[in-house]
Amino acid sequence: MTAQDPVVLRLAGIVKTFPGVRALDGVELEVRAGEVHCLLGQNGAGKSTLIKVLAGVHRPDAGEIVWQGEPTSFSNPQAATKAGIATIYQELDLVEDLTVAENVFLGHEPRTGGFVQRGRMRRSTREILGRLGHAEIPVGRAVGKLPAAAKQIVSMGRALSYDARLIIMDEPSAVLAHDEVANLFRVIRDLTAQGIAVIYISHRMEEIREIGDRVTVLKDGRTSAVNLPARTTPTAELVSRMTGRSIEYVFPDRPAPAADRPSAPLLKVEGLTRHGEFTDISLTVGAGEIVGIAGLVGSGRSELLETIYGARRAHAGQVRVDGRSLPAGQVGAAVRAGVGMAPEERKSQALVLDEPIYRNVTLASFGKYATGGFTNADRERKAAEKVADALALHPRDVRRPVRTLSGGNQQKVVLGRWLLGQGTKLLLLDEPTRGVDIGARAELYQVIRALADDGMGVLLVSSEVPEVLGLADRVLVMREGHLIHEAPAAQLDEETVLDLVMAGSLLEVTAP
Amino acid sequence: MTEPGNAVAEAGGTPPHTTTAPADARPPRPGKARGGWWGGDASEPVRRNLGLVGVLVLLYLIGVFSRPDIFASGARLWSNELTVLTQAASIGVITIGMTFVMISGGIDLSVGALLALASVWSTTVATQSYGPGVMIFTALAVGTVAGAVNGILIAYGRMVPFIATMALMVAARGLSQKISGKLTQISKVDTINKIAETKVLGIPLLVIIFGAVAAAGWILLNRTTFGRRTVAIGGNPEAARLAGINLRRHQVLLYALSGLCCGIAAIMVTSLSNAGSSDHGNLYELQAIAAAIIGGTSLAGGRGTIVGSVLGVLVFTQITNLFIVNNLQLEFQLIAQGAIIVGAVLIQQFRVAALRRPAPPGA
Amino acid sequence: MSRTPGDLSRRRLLMGGAALSAGTLLAACTSNAEPKTSDAGQTKTGSGDNAAPGKTVTIGFSAPSADHGWIRAITDNAKKQAALYSDVKFTQVDAGKDAPAQVAALQTLIQQKPDAIVLLPQDGAQLTAAGKAAMQAGIPVINLDREFSDAGASRLLIKGDNYGMGYAAGLYIGNKLKGKSDAVIAEIAGIDSLPLTQDRSKGFKDALATFNLRVTNRVAAQFTVQSGQDVTANLLQAASKIDAIWNHDDDQGVGVLAAIKQASRKEFFMVGGAGSLDVMEHIKAGDTPLEATVTYPPSMASSAIALARLIAQGKGLSDLVELQVPKQIVLASETITKENVDKYLPLGFRS
Repeated sequence: MTAQDPVVLRLAGIVKTFPGVRALDGVELEVRAGEVHCLLGQNGAGKSTLIKVLAGVHRPDAGEIVWQGEPTSFSNPQAATKAGIATIYQELDLVEDLTVAENVFLGHEPRTGGFVQRGRMRRSTREILGRLGHAEIPVGRAVGKLPAAAKQIVSMGRALSYDARLIIMDEPSAVLAHDEVANLFRVIRDLTAQGIAVIYISHRMEEIREIGDRVTVLKDGRTSAVNLPARTTPTAELVSRMTGRSIEYVFPDRPAPAADRPSAPLLKVEGLTRHGEFTDISLTVGAGEIVGIAGLVGSGRSELLETIYGARRAHAGQVRVDGRSLPAGQVGAAVRAGVGMAPEERKSQALVLDEPIYRNVTLASFGKYATGGFTNADRERKAAEKVADALALHPRDVRRPVRTLSGGNQQKVVLGRWLLGQGTKLLLLDEPTRGVDIGARAELYQVIRALADDGMGVLLVSSEVPEVLGLADRVLVMREGHLIHEAPAAQLDEETVLDLVMAGSLLEVTAP
Repeated sequence: MTEPGNAVAEAGGTPPHTTTAPADARPPRPGKARGGWWGGDASEPVRRNLGLVGVLVLLYLIGVFSRPDIFASGARLWSNELTVLTQAASIGVITIGMTFVMISGGIDLSVGALLALASVWSTTVATQSYGPGVMIFTALAVGTVAGAVNGILIAYGRMVPFIATMALMVAARGLSQKISGKLTQISKVDTINKIAETKVLGIPLLVIIFGAVAAAGWILLNRTTFGRRTVAIGGNPEAARLAGINLRRHQVLLYALSGLCCGIAAIMVTSLSNAGSSDHGNLYELQAIAAAIIGGTSLAGGRGTIVGSVLGVLVFTQITNLFIVNNLQLEFQLIAQGAIIVGAVLIQQFRVAALRRPAPPGA
Repeated sequence: MSRTPGDLSRRRLLMGGAALSAGTLLAACTSNAEPKTSDAGQTKTGSGDNAAPGKTVTIGFSAPSADHGWIRAITDNAKKQAALYSDVKFTQVDAGKDAPAQVAALQTLIQQKPDAIVLLPQDGAQLTAAGKAAMQAGIPVINLDREFSDAGASRLLIKGDNYGMGYAAGLYIGNKLKGKSDAVIAEIAGIDSLPLTQDRSKGFKDALATFNLRVTNRVAAQFTVQSGQDVTANLLQAASKIDAIWNHDDDQGVGVLAAIKQASRKEFFMVGGAGSLDVMEHIKAGDTPLEATVTYPPSMASSAIALARLIAQGKGLSDLVELQVPKQIVLASETITKENVDKYLPLGFRS
């Protein structure tokens, strides 16, 4: 990018009000052709709303959008797409049962007289994927069978199929493992070289440094800084623009290896196997211990966690908690034995979004507050409030629907579910900090460590190697369905783990 | 060993260095503050159902305008409305069961056929010879067992509810025709026939049963673990499963409950018409679904109220009554019912959209 | 906390036992065996030469199998009548659930080359072509009740008289309410979209008009017991005082009578329609407001079989001078009252 590159998009004084809240309160933004413009801001700062304004989902109440020199107003998402603005949401909006080609051309299939020209569609898709450096993705495969990284490429392919001049990416790296992010950056550089502008949203400072050209910071619906140079602006300044104070990525101290730890492990997994997902996994987690599993998306780590929990039925092997064997494929038995889980997809796997916070907190235990089958909402609310206080949940009103909470707070609700005094001994955490902002992350780390200090065993899966290394006592490395390494976290560094974790290309790590 | 779970609050309550989020970053409050005696759990359904109460008032006003001799006279209005409630009783009981099934994200197309089967099975010459007790037991048992079959097909046979209950809809009609030999089985048992004629303190017994079933349904849905599981399963089946709720067992129970409601309704219809017939409950599945939907129950599951369903049934029954007392023909009635379904669903969609709008922005 | 396997199995056994005995009881409850069997709708074989066995003929039969007493009686009567003749082979094909299904069934029947076909169509107009095809194949078609749109599609038409039925009901009510110009007369029709319902209503209206009377309240049910009860319960609210009710259909009449009983209303009299056994028994007993019913006799199926046999054997009606069976027979709708009910009881069908 150079200063001579034309400005493709300019926002001035954008205001968007929802009942009871001013989500955007005067936002400025300037994006040039061929640049990667990073958008920074805490959860709740208005990033999502701003994206939706650009994507034509919301219409601003006031302010001006100038797109390629013309004052514009998008009445719906189709209008924005036609104008050349494509948005890739955090939760990819692909149709899992359709093929790659069908997804790329969804809604604007090449056709003659009402008939889709499938051949032409496939050829164009192949060409677009080639432009993205991923010609190896089979255009005829159902998208649901692709790994997350490949899905993201397909989403970008869809943007290109519309001849987009501006692509908005909402936390694209959140679902990607380390090497896949590098891949993504290569694709982004290719795009910008073709003059396409990118608005890039991420919580990860190192990514912004690497890929970004300029940064605009949002705070409470306002722009607190515009067009800062992405590579040279000190982190401290960026953070203070976001929050008004500095936040460090702090991990709590590990306790000294305790001699008094019970000798029998809390969780003992032996020879656990699910064909095509993982093979012959044996591991232990002690009481008070945090064990981290590092591995790429598709390495079988999430499937392993769900199998231990009984959400998937093991084909072979055994899971013992406190020496007692758990029946395969029965979540209820695992919960009764004191196992809790925070699954990878909060919204689709963990929360009933329209139900109030307290009912989500007590989802696994409302029976314990009931007398003779009659629920006791007061007791549930009080218990939930106690947990909400302990976890510093925002907002405190536990009768609000969970849908209205930010990602970090939703994650607290899921964690809180297992902290109600129902005797949870073992927590299985799958990507506990995905989509959670920096401040809330540190809090979550503290909470997790505090739980372990109090005797709970934790088995943690994360795509972020520093998180696994910083938080866990012991680290297991998983690759292609096998446990390939185990060591105390203190004896590992990021590069070693990455070396172990990385292998193969995008598709080789697919779960078949 | 220690009890880690008990330590929740203490453990999390004083994390070593809690980083407090900026005070001004808290998500916004909804437009109106909650409170007052209607606050809490009850407020949502009450507000949602005010529209239907409005429709009922409107229907009453149309009645006053078109037939003041009935709707503006105390005694005749009382008698007329008791008739409306009596005629609403059987479809009302079915709709209560349907509401549970729909809130759980399912659907039960077999209700009309199960009613017919239960009515026929309980009015055969053989059953009648055992007397009213066995007739009632038979109707309830047949309904419950057939409902459980629905549930087993869905939960353990992994069939889509639409398909499983459609299969039973067809099969149960067939079986009831086979049993009855396509004859109307006239009830000669006076106790059964008298149910529909009995009044307690001036209120028809059928209306009292309907009220009791609705009240029990309300308590079951809003105040018991059964109801909570139902809402959770409908709101997010995967989350419910991962929270340790036994999804399959609950599904079987839900469809059995719907079947039990069919059995109760079968006794009501048998008593009202003095006969069991494989024609009973014709199109009840559609009427019950329509009533639940205008009462605010979502076809996608997770949302619905008993009060709304009862109001929905009353709206439809009152419309039928209004058309007949005004000597108008059936076709207009069908048009009016269609219009009300569309209107009610549109209103609810706007309301749901309004409820969800104040979601905080932010990334 | 934990349950021993023994507990569990015993519990299962107990529950299984309970379920089993309940099941046995329930299964026993499906029995519909009547203490006495009625031979309703049974007719006679005729007399004279025509009763004597002739050459053996095959008669094909097709009628809808709706869940309705009258329709059911049609099939029953046809079967019974055929069984009376030693020289008749009776072949029945299922009419399926709609007209196209019956057309298909009929084609199969034509392939079998019966000597005559007795057909109650799902829909007269839609089966006309099929009737024609049979006639062209040299098979005489006896069209029962629902009339083809082309007279050439059948050798013989036997039908009831819907208009006449309504007219007869109107005459009965008119005669009783003569001169009472403000009389409240209610009509409970069947399925309103059917031509037969419209014919009945027109006959009723026309007959009442000759007495300067009119239908003040009209509702339509669905030919089912439950719908009969439902519309009647509301109808009785609409009119606090009624002089007379005509109900088109005795099947739905079971529900109509139940609603009247539940409302404890007695101030009016009622006329039924079709002539079911149940209704005739009520007329005879005088225990309901039901005073009369106008017939639409399912015995026409018995006559159709008898005449199909004669046509196939090339015989005529013995009381007619002509050598062949006539082209069209329209049955008169008769009025059954307490006075003549005994005569009609054997023709009553179970609803």
